[in-house]
Amino acid sequence: MVEFTHTIKAESGLHARPAGLISSAVRNTKSTVVIYYEAKNRCADGSRLLSIMSLGATCGTELRFEIEGEDENEAMIALKQICEANI
Amino acid sequence: MEREFRFSGTGISNGKVSGKIKFLRKQERKEIKAIAKDKRTELKRLQEAQAIALDEIKALESKTLSTLGESEAQIFKIHAMLLEDEDFVEAIIGEINGGKSVIEAIESASKIYADMLLSLEDEYLSARASDIRDISSLLIRILTGEVSENQENDKEPYILVASDLSPSETVKLDESKILGFVTFGGTPSSHTAILARAMGIPALVGTGAIDKSLDGSFALLNAEKGTLVVSPGQKEVEKFEKERQAYNKIANEHESYLRSVMNKPAVTRGGHKVMIYANIGSDSEISSALSNGAEGIGLLRSEFLYLSKKEFPTEDELFCAYRDAVIKMQGKRVIIRTLDIGADKQIPYFNLPTEENPALGYRAIRICLDRKELFKNQLRAILRASAYGRVAIMLPMIVSADEIRESKAIIEECKQELSTQDKEFDSKIELGIMIETPAAAIMSEELSKEVSFFSVGTNDLTQYTLAADRQNPLVTKICEENLEPIMRLIKISADAIHQNGGWIGVCGEMAADLSLTQRFVDIKIDELSVSVPYLLGVRGKVSECK
Repeated sequence: MVEFTHTIKAESGLHARPAGLISSAVRNTKSTVVIYYEAKNRCADGSRLLSIMSLGATCGTELRFEIEGEDENEAMIALKQICEANI
Repeated sequence: MEREFRFSGTGISNGKVSGKIKFLRKQERKEIKAIAKDKRTELKRLQEAQAIALDEIKALESKTLSTLGESEAQIFKIHAMLLEDEDFVEAIIGEINGGKSVIEAIESASKIYADMLLSLEDEYLSARASDIRDISSLLIRILTGEVSENQENDKEPYILVASDLSPSETVKLDESKILGFVTFGGTPSSHTAILARAMGIPALVGTGAIDKSLDGSFALLNAEKGTLVVSPGQKEVEKFEKERQAYNKIANEHESYLRSVMNKPAVTRGGHKVMIYANIGSDSEISSALSNGAEGIGLLRSEFLYLSKKEFPTEDELFCAYRDAVIKMQGKRVIIRTLDIGADKQIPYFNLPTEENPALGYRAIRICLDRKELFKNQLRAILRASAYGRVAIMLPMIVSADEIRESKAIIEECKQELSTQDKEFDSKIELGIMIETPAAAIMSEELSKEVSFFSVGTNDLTQYTLAADRQNPLVTKICEENLEPIMRLIKISADAIHQNGGWIGVCGEMAADLSLTQRFVDIKIDELSVSVPYLLGVRGKVSECK
């Protein structure tokens, strides 16, 4: 298992479009991804759009991504890029 | 006289329209409490409806992509994802397994998720509740065989009134029939509002309920002020019509001017090309700068990121803002001026001492060279943004070559730090300085060996050269009547930088003064950078120059 954290910098938070990007990316991998919003004790299935949106993660929120699977390292790179560029 | 009714809400897009209001007619649902047949039949109906809905959404997505653009089309990509979202679908299936009909199941799953999004107390995510409702009503419409709502047989264009409009309803509006629309609910950040803005439809959201008895009445919709007046008095109508005509006249004139000037290169009749750039204070001005023909950003004032905060912005925050601006400019040059605070721009958390003479005091590069970490923080952010397009760094308030050399050494340090962190940047990033002190102009020969461009800040250059504060009404006359010394200093600078193979722009208020354009052309100014409203005027003027 690998993991990384990302602090949301987009003013509008983790809204529908970036949530969609994350969920599409996760579906393209062979790994399972769980996103933790630890400050509020919430977690989400990274492959599911509504689940990610329901985190209610706003600007400044720290999220931890836990990635597990045969392509976990590639998956982590892809997700990091999406996070950096969009949220 | 009929009584008038006034409603106010949040205006979306601009414009004023008048016409009859018509309430959106939604067909009554026939089968709403349909008795559930066996589970297997209901599940099969769900699957069939999903497949049809997906086709419809994809059709809307491609329509929106071709008429409005990619970011608007993404709204429907999200709809398609929501339609297939496991949580949503499992909720529906769960309800069906509990004995509900497919329609009831969709309605209750829709309510569960719409309520969940509303409960997040985040404006953006709450606004997505209407997206869930939109796909749910699409599914139900398919299942009940309802014809989609339309305002058949309307000859006259009208103002559409509805309790709520979904994104798909909005994008399907017949723009030749709709003057504008008004919704009782809705927020400016809803997808519906985003689409209305992109379609240029004047709209008003969040007016609260409007009584159905007003259906068909004449009304005035003012999207700028955010008002709807139903059955207005004669005088108000006349005033409104006058304003509307004036607005349309300006809009039309601007349109035709835009068309005539926009694609003309800014080249004088003598063949001298001048780059027309925009001065902006934040990346929100970029789209209007581009639609007014800006060929680059000549001055991105980086202060806004510091002014809007209570504490120092982080490198990442700065990077994100710069990167967004650079991406939006699609490879066109973006000149980012490093922090220019002090003097009249004070920021509490910088804790700067009070000075007797702030304009001649501790400001801009003088602070940055002292507070190296602060400066490096910004430089690293600018360097990282340079990986996304064409970025240039511009240093303000320079008086000596030493200041430039010291800054260059710091920039080098930043580059090395980024390299060791494996962060990308443009290693050949351009460096320029502002010419805003007489010293810089006088020393321009030496300074031009250190940088690739100059940009003249005429406001400060004027006040420092004439020792007269333009804001002081007692001496503004001195500034207005003594152009010559300023123009000579600019010429000295232009000649020096040209000799060393660089280029020079003007980014102060004088750049927008059309009576000076010819003089700038005469001394071979390469770039004029002005605020957005002046872009087209300057472009037109340059093409008329000798």
